[in-house]
Amino acid sequence: MSDLQIYQAVPSQWGTAYAALLAETGLRDEGHTELTVLLTQGEKLLGCGSLGGKVIRQVAVAPEAEGQDVCARVVTVLVGEAAKRGIPFPFLFTKPKNARLFRSLGFHPVAETSDMIMLSRRRNALGQFLTSLPRWEEGVTGCVVCNANPFTRGHLHLITTAAAQCDHVLVFVVAEENGFFPAADRLALVQEGTAHLSNVKVCSGGDFLVSRTTFPTYFLKDAQSAEDARCDLDLELFGRHIAPALHITRRFVGEEPFSPTTAAYNRRMKELLPTFGISVTEIPRLEGISATVVRQALADDRINDIQSLVPETTYAYCQRHFGGNSPRP
Amino acid sequence: MELITTGYAGTMESNDIMITVEPSDQDGVQVELTSSVYQQFGKQIIAVIRETVASYGVENALITAVDKGALDCTVRARVSTALMRSAKRSDYTWEVRQDV
Repeated sequence: MSDLQIYQAVPSQWGTAYAALLAETGLRDEGHTELTVLLTQGEKLLGCGSLGGKVIRQVAVAPEAEGQDVCARVVTVLVGEAAKRGIPFPFLFTKPKNARLFRSLGFHPVAETSDMIMLSRRRNALGQFLTSLPRWEEGVTGCVVCNANPFTRGHLHLITTAAAQCDHVLVFVVAEENGFFPAADRLALVQEGTAHLSNVKVCSGGDFLVSRTTFPTYFLKDAQSAEDARCDLDLELFGRHIAPALHITRRFVGEEPFSPTTAAYNRRMKELLPTFGISVTEIPRLEGISATVVRQALADDRINDIQSLVPETTYAYCQRHFGGNSPRP
Repeated sequence: MELITTGYAGTMESNDIMITVEPSDQDGVQVELTSSVYQQFGKQIIAVIRETVASYGVENALITAVDKGALDCTVRARVSTALMRSAKRSDYTWEVRQDV
């Protein structure tokens, strides 16, 4: 009789077998998972799978256990656990050759690179996201994607430059909670700070633009090489699906001298997006302005130091939340 | 019956069906079916799902079903359970015999 257990982390007695099973099926342990399911029989590991955020990944079945519903049992538990956490429609990442198996379990393909396919339990998940967004039939549409944690004069400079060179600019703000400023406030500050630019629209990036789902390494602090950044899926989604649907032909990015991951992302963007007919313009950074510097100043209670770094709207927000004894967001 | 949250029931193992019920603000009941026997029984499975949902007086819902060859009685049972869980109700009397 096989035994199915849910763990927060793979227990040490199964560590070796787990690593071997992943290696055998060509998957890698991406870390940042909240739970792992192991299906075992006696001393043998038959199958495994993990859930992290909205994503099911590292689902593997031992070759000798194929044809025994192992995958279905593991994925059923993971889908149930996701639903308990308020995620009725999780995503799933796997090797492209496994796509058929997961389609039979009710997952629908969203985007694919040579070694990775992204599926969603919601049919047409990307289409539904895209229909909620503005688009223009005429003129040149440019695009900026930013985290804006918080919105600085550097971001404003980037968006203003794009707005001067395009008829319309669509700005996506990273939707993921990633510390310090809440996502809703980051979005609101970009909207307020660009309200004077009549050809700029600001939207949430949702699950599909630099989200933890499509580009997990963006949210890791460690230095990453270009190969390790694994940003291809994010760029594939943008170049093949998002940009054509929204008539975007130009993307603007800020030059990145500090974060190796973002620098690698920008480099790869310049390689990949032109193959989809999208030109990439890198704007030199304004001297001394970065969101990191702003966050550091706020953490050190030096709110006056940020006045020259951020637009008035962001400064007013910071005064409300960080000045004196105000509650932090 | 009013749906409040996501309700799910069943599994994706052979001879079973996994049903996920979501409250919906769109009019009507939308059924998304993936089935290993879609060609032969897809219409029948969707009809059973719709019938069961209607019998609970639910008019708006998004139902996602992943079927692995479940019998109609299984489909009814899984849909009923998922609906009750979605409505956060436990006042069913399924254990009580009603045929005596």
